[in-house]
Amino acid sequence: MPSVDEIADGMYKMVQDAQGQKKLKPTGLQKAMMEMYGVDKKTCKLAIRALVDNGRLVYSYFGGSFLELPPDGDK
Amino acid sequence: MADTQKRITDIGPPDYKDFMSPAMKANYGKWKYHEIIRPGVMVHVSETGDKLFTVRAGGSRLMSIDKIRQFCDIADKFCDGYFRFTSRHNIEFMFTDESNIDPLIKAINDLGHPVGGTGNSISSIVHTQGWVHCHSAATDASGVVKAVMDDLIDHFKNMDLPGKLRIALACCLNMCGAVHCSDIAILGIHTKAPIVDNDTLPKMCEIPTVVASCPTAAIRPSTEDGKPGVEVIEENCMFCANCYTVCPSMPLNNADTDGISLWVGGKVSNARTEPTFSKLAVPFIPNNPPRWPEVTDTIRTMVEVWAQNARKFERMGEFIDRIGWPRFFEMTGIEFQKEHIDDFKYAGLSFKRSAHLSY
Amino acid sequence: MALKEHKTPLLDELEKGEWPSFVTEIKNCASKNEMSNDLLGLLEKSYRERIGFWKHGGIVGVMGYGGGVIGRYTQLPEEYPNIEHFHTMRVNQPSGWLYTSDALRKLCDIWEKHGSGLTNMHGSTGDIVFLGCTTDDLEPTFADLTEAGFDLGGSGSDVRTPSCCIGPARCEWACYDTLAVTYDFTMHYQDELHRPAFPYKWKFKMSGCPNDCVASVARADISIIGTWQDDIRIDQDSVGEYSDNGLDILRDVIMNCPGKCMEWDGKTLEIDNKTCRHCMHCINAMPKALRPGTDTGAVVLIGSKAPIVEGAIISSVLVPFWKPEPPYDDLKDLMDEIIDLWCEEGKARERIGEFIQRVGMGNFLDAIGLEPEPAMVAYPRDNPYVFYEDAEEE
Repeated sequence: MPSVDEIADGMYKMVQDAQGQKKLKPTGLQKAMMEMYGVDKKTCKLAIRALVDNGRLVYSYFGGSFLELPPDGDK
Repeated sequence: MADTQKRITDIGPPDYKDFMSPAMKANYGKWKYHEIIRPGVMVHVSETGDKLFTVRAGGSRLMSIDKIRQFCDIADKFCDGYFRFTSRHNIEFMFTDESNIDPLIKAINDLGHPVGGTGNSISSIVHTQGWVHCHSAATDASGVVKAVMDDLIDHFKNMDLPGKLRIALACCLNMCGAVHCSDIAILGIHTKAPIVDNDTLPKMCEIPTVVASCPTAAIRPSTEDGKPGVEVIEENCMFCANCYTVCPSMPLNNADTDGISLWVGGKVSNARTEPTFSKLAVPFIPNNPPRWPEVTDTIRTMVEVWAQNARKFERMGEFIDRIGWPRFFEMTGIEFQKEHIDDFKYAGLSFKRSAHLSY
Repeated sequence: MALKEHKTPLLDELEKGEWPSFVTEIKNCASKNEMSNDLLGLLEKSYRERIGFWKHGGIVGVMGYGGGVIGRYTQLPEEYPNIEHFHTMRVNQPSGWLYTSDALRKLCDIWEKHGSGLTNMHGSTGDIVFLGCTTDDLEPTFADLTEAGFDLGGSGSDVRTPSCCIGPARCEWACYDTLAVTYDFTMHYQDELHRPAFPYKWKFKMSGCPNDCVASVARADISIIGTWQDDIRIDQDSVGEYSDNGLDILRDVIMNCPGKCMEWDGKTLEIDNKTCRHCMHCINAMPKALRPGTDTGAVVLIGSKAPIVEGAIISSVLVPFWKPEPPYDDLKDLMDEIIDLWCEEGKARERIGEFIQRVGMGNFLDAIGLEPEPAMVAYPRDNPYVFYEDAEEE
């Protein structure tokens, strides 16, 4: 079973690939990870928390809450 | 990178128990009854025999920190520092010594605030941000509220109405707050479709999201000079601004066509009748700052018709229900127009489907 | 440093009249704070031109949180440079909006140091609202707030800050401990409140009795409204006193009873509690004589919302009677079922009330494992378009 860090990396890559084309919601990332890796919701939640706590992703708001790369580009 | 270890997060609000006065703690859950001694002044009596007095001051919602500090000073002087706010932006001072009532009221009045809002009166107007702080406001909030309350303040300071009067204002259809179930709702509305900015739209927004945001399917993808964008089918737009909330490239604020609609007869309380929505009274009044006289005049007319003709305890909606809508429009002199007849989902439920008419 | 002087002839008109003036409040801050000063100028321009000048949204917040800060920028930063950033911070209020002067002074000091000095006491959802913070000042403000024991509230697609009435702290009609339930739920949902992970907003509102002083039935996804199951308590002598003092018991109380369950012979008030609808009217009219019963709890309703997107909804009954007992796991478990389903199947910006209308209440109940009950409907359906399911072999 993939670790929280691996799921976080998977989510990060999804956001990176979609940046500029589609804004992704936490629920969307979670669903994708659960389908791809068969992980549970708790792992996904921890992964999102890790991503935003260390600043790799940030929340944005446009009529709903999304996860995006930070504005300065975190490489 | 900031050190996240040292940050304090997820502590939640302070525990309310730390903010209860000794009298509240001692009588928690033991209150037996209350009486309104005079407008804005209540006494709650406990099963233990203890009494807790409350004086209610009308508040403006938008407050400076200096004003909050002045209220703190009053609370220190009369209430051992304990006080609270109500769900309608009022400030309540609670204390056990009855002799504090008069000097406390004087201190509140000296600060420029009225005392009242209890029993069968108008309470403060729940409202939103308006032009002070909101991107989608179709009118100002605080200014309209100030003008209406200046006009109706006697009904705040005196309990001279048949029942409670709850007015609320929302500066657009997003309705931060429960204005759609108020005796009178003041609602900011746009009346022109959004002007699409297809130069910025593809960069700032996702076209499928913008298209999907429209509850009446009035937005469709378009191509202009080979560039993707959206277009609005204007006859399908009912100006809700949901598209503007999800996409800043769809602005529909317009000085000449934004304004105010008035709604009547809603309530949230279960007393006597079930909670119900407010119904359309006036479809459109143009914005007329700084004091919106057409709005204050129409509201005063509705309030006075109700105040003079309603039975004891009857709220605005219960009164109208008894006399019938035709009579309401006749008594208030408000013109009944095409817009009053519903044409959204389940519209037919609001048609008159019987011969129950008064002549 | 001298502040730029903005002439405000239109706003000055709103300092006249007896109701407390928000313009006076803004001017108070404007005299010593350049953000508030520019806000005053911008607002005058709005009054002149009859339109607002704000932009919204974007990436703004304190680190780790997706809620609590609402991005706000003026459209006219060149004219009003001090409000180029003018974000809203929502600070989670204590249950029942109870305060000590010490706690509020601390908040005022923090806001004097970092922001415009302007507040809303309170925002519509219930939070203390700090109006006007720059992006750079968000994190330091947050650090000072948590140091003082306060935290941010909700915004965006998350659990919004729960709020409640004064409840048992000062009200004889509180049928359950609204303050305790609100505090407990707020603490329980801290993660969901700060890290938006839902299709759209989710509001809890706790009212202690059917008078519903926090308007829960009109705007909360979950409206928890206090009620009782046993008999209304009557003090017959007090009823007599109300009558002697001029209350027309027959016309003003009994004729207003929706359950038509009361009789009054001039001496004794009788109530047929089996058909009492718990509307509160008779108790409101005679608070000294009548009280709710002692077998108290709450009715839990679901789904209310304002018009955006598919139309306004008033909450409807989900659990006809709930007995709140800490740690309230029964209701939290039910919430988990509902929120999981909604997160799985709900569309963007679809509130739970709209979701239920889309999938059907019957299917919704099936999915969350609740049995349908007659108390959930005003009346059974009156159209024959029934989606009968295939009869299963027993």
